[in-house]
Amino acid sequence: MTGLFREIRFLSHDRAALLWLGIAVFIAVVSVFLGLREVSSQRAELDGLIEADHREREVLMDLYQDWGDVAYYTFHLTYDPPSEFAFAAQGRRDTSPWKHNIRALALEGQIYETDAENPDFALVGRLDFAFVANLLAPLLLILLLHDLRSAERATGRFELLCATAANRGSPWFARAALRVGALALCLIAPLWTGGLLAGSGAATLAPASLVVVLHIGFWWAVCALMDRFGWSSPVNLTALVGAWLAFAVIVPAAIKVSVEATVPLPDGGEILFTQREAVNDAWDLPKAATMEPFVERHPEWADYTEVSQPFEWKWYYAFQQVGDQTVEPLSQAYREGRVRRDALAASLAWLSPPALAERALQALAGTNVAATLAYERQVRGFHKALREYYYPRLFREEPVSDASLAQRPEFRETGE
Amino acid sequence: MNGVFPIAREELRLWLRSRLAFSALLVFALLLTATSVLTALRMSAEQQQRTGQQALAEETFLSQPDRHPHRMVHYGHYVFRVPPPLSVVDPGVDAVTGQSMFLEGHRQNTAMFADAGAGANLGGFDDLTAALVYQLFVPLLLIAMGHGLIVREREENTLAPLLAQNVTGVMLCLGKWIALAGVALVLLLPLFVMTALAAARGESLLTSAGLIGIYALYSLVWCSLILLVSALVRHRGLGLGILALFWLGAVLIVPRTAVESASTVVPAEGKLETDLRMQAELRAVGDGHNAGAPQFMRLRANLLAQYDVERVEDLPVNFRGVVAEVNEADVTDVLNKYAGERMALEARQARFAESFGWLSPVVAVSAGSRALSGTDLATHHRFLRKAEEVRFDFVQGLNRVHVEQLDYTIDINRSIDTASERLTRMSAENWNVLDEFSFEAAPASERLTRAAPALTMLSAWFLLLTAAVVFASRRIRP
Repeated sequence: MTGLFREIRFLSHDRAALLWLGIAVFIAVVSVFLGLREVSSQRAELDGLIEADHREREVLMDLYQDWGDVAYYTFHLTYDPPSEFAFAAQGRRDTSPWKHNIRALALEGQIYETDAENPDFALVGRLDFAFVANLLAPLLLILLLHDLRSAERATGRFELLCATAANRGSPWFARAALRVGALALCLIAPLWTGGLLAGSGAATLAPASLVVVLHIGFWWAVCALMDRFGWSSPVNLTALVGAWLAFAVIVPAAIKVSVEATVPLPDGGEILFTQREAVNDAWDLPKAATMEPFVERHPEWADYTEVSQPFEWKWYYAFQQVGDQTVEPLSQAYREGRVRRDALAASLAWLSPPALAERALQALAGTNVAATLAYERQVRGFHKALREYYYPRLFREEPVSDASLAQRPEFRETGE
Repeated sequence: MNGVFPIAREELRLWLRSRLAFSALLVFALLLTATSVLTALRMSAEQQQRTGQQALAEETFLSQPDRHPHRMVHYGHYVFRVPPPLSVVDPGVDAVTGQSMFLEGHRQNTAMFADAGAGANLGGFDDLTAALVYQLFVPLLLIAMGHGLIVREREENTLAPLLAQNVTGVMLCLGKWIALAGVALVLLLPLFVMTALAAARGESLLTSAGLIGIYALYSLVWCSLILLVSALVRHRGLGLGILALFWLGAVLIVPRTAVESASTVVPAEGKLETDLRMQAELRAVGDGHNAGAPQFMRLRANLLAQYDVERVEDLPVNFRGVVAEVNEADVTDVLNKYAGERMALEARQARFAESFGWLSPVVAVSAGSRALSGTDLATHHRFLRKAEEVRFDFVQGLNRVHVEQLDYTIDINRSIDTASERLTRMSAENWNVLDEFSFEAAPASERLTRAAPALTMLSAWFLLLTAAVVFASRRIRP
């Protein structure tokens, strides 16, 4: 115990160490604050959108007397609200869509729209907790630990300390452990504070803290390994920063390049192209060319496929659906490709602890690729429900009524 | 000057002999070469693909059969943002902004399919380009190699003999600076090759030279800073600590702080929010598909008076076409007003973030590099504006066909039966109202003007730090 108090006393007099720890706690607090602010602004934006969306639909309620017009002009807001832990890792929310305005037309033309913020921001990235814990903290730890032994060597106390210690390595271990512990505390305390403010719950905060501790533990091991070579402090520091560069920058970049080369994706432009051609060709084709593939999917409307006019709404929505059907293989491949890329990245991320920790925090925050894809599935599900609501009304040519409109599905953010 | 070069030569020899310095140099040379080649391959492929897709989109539009002209308005068209030649050095916002956009009547769509959204996700700096390596990580190498330049002599007690041999502090610093700057400039070789490649593909020499210049200036800023710290401190460890702290701040913290501050100081709403907000205004303008809407009554009365006829059927022009044309112009005014506001806000955010270049040279060099390469936010906005021009022109061209060539009575009877519908189909020759779209970044002079603030900031950094080095070198005592 006295050893620990002695080390704490040493640490409290080590101005450099206090500076690095001070930076750690300051940046961690700032990142948590910024994350909380970002999440609350996203929530406020969604609240405003939800309200405007309802208002908009109310305005449209009495405007159209035809189900075709109603379905054509009515948009529905779909969204993926930030989770209680999203403040800690913004993840993909900078570049992937988390809100859409959807209508009953062909979905493939709508679902790839991204209401993104200033691209300059997405390019630089956010100062979120995950960034601090995964990229900044290892560097701070390196700065804290790189001269533990070598500084004593340089001042000529090393041999003396080794000789007088109860067992070899013990003063170093205690000294390093104290610094590692202090750094972990500097990160985890702001995280828990933010988490409790945001209502994250211990079930998320505990594994997140474990991720942070394990990741820092990895870097402690790297520092300890380098220490064995007995280099001078500057050489030690250079080598450790080199290791950071390798693990935190080069390996992830190499993984990304190889994953994307291994799993090619269908070109986005091609998806849109195919979809548009299918939808537009329908105008010039015999009506049966649309209604047959449509009925294959929806046999329940087989008796209603008679289209006598040059333009009928049911035929219009049928070819919207057929447009989606035509592009389905490509769209499916685009989705599966993203899943496979993510799975491959997940297994290769074991080569880079910072990337692994980042992915773990994003998974806890619901801001990873899986969350994006889950939201996409939700939008597809909702769009399907919209179609299933409109089809009977279009095919049976029912009159538009408030009672019928009241049954229209509303987007729910939970469940798929 | 006599004593200066031997000092520089001695330093270089030392680096070549030091295993650590030499291997670090080698690693960076490899890293720069690899990222340069990969970025160049990727962007060249993108360039080729999008140029091909653009040509295909035009071909498909022009080869559409005879149709009602308004059908072509909704058939629409695709435009692709073809990356400029210098994007092989700095792809900038290319990966985070959509690269293709669907153009149709009465709507402004967003650019879709940003690479970043579909890429493998490994966080942090996983999207590593040669530009990023230069901006963020080359300074680490320079710090590792240069932090001991002066302080090493001090620690090894060789400073006093040096100064006693008629070597002044200024000469010593100059010699060391030349050595470090030499390394920094040699590292620019891959950049030089990539820029030459871009120049060979038609990039202006002015922007190419500007790009090399801005990275050279940036590297020299670091050289001066490193030398300054090395001249001022008493221990290597302290010098390294100070430089590490500066790097941490300049590379990791300030750029992201700039982003967070810009989004706070200049808040901008999302596109969905804007879309919903302008719905009321768009409704006031009216729906051009419905020529009987109250918004078009005045237009109708004016036209009847102008041609001195009683009924719309007797007008020499197709009234539905006129409504479509007038309405498109009005709707576009509203759309452009909101789009313009949004772009102005984003540009203000970018300028605000760029002003953090006074706190971190990294912010300055990255903004300048994107501006010169033609891969900055302003270029994306230029793409949006050019696309809007194309959209408006072809839609109005088609509306003109609707007004002038399609008879009103035939038009309103289009839904009676298939034969009547056939009569409304206009000849496909009319589809050549579509202009060819080949996106190019702004001309060199404009991009240089945009890079001017960044160049000013970097020059200020360089002059200030170099002046400080000169000042410190005069006072070097053993």
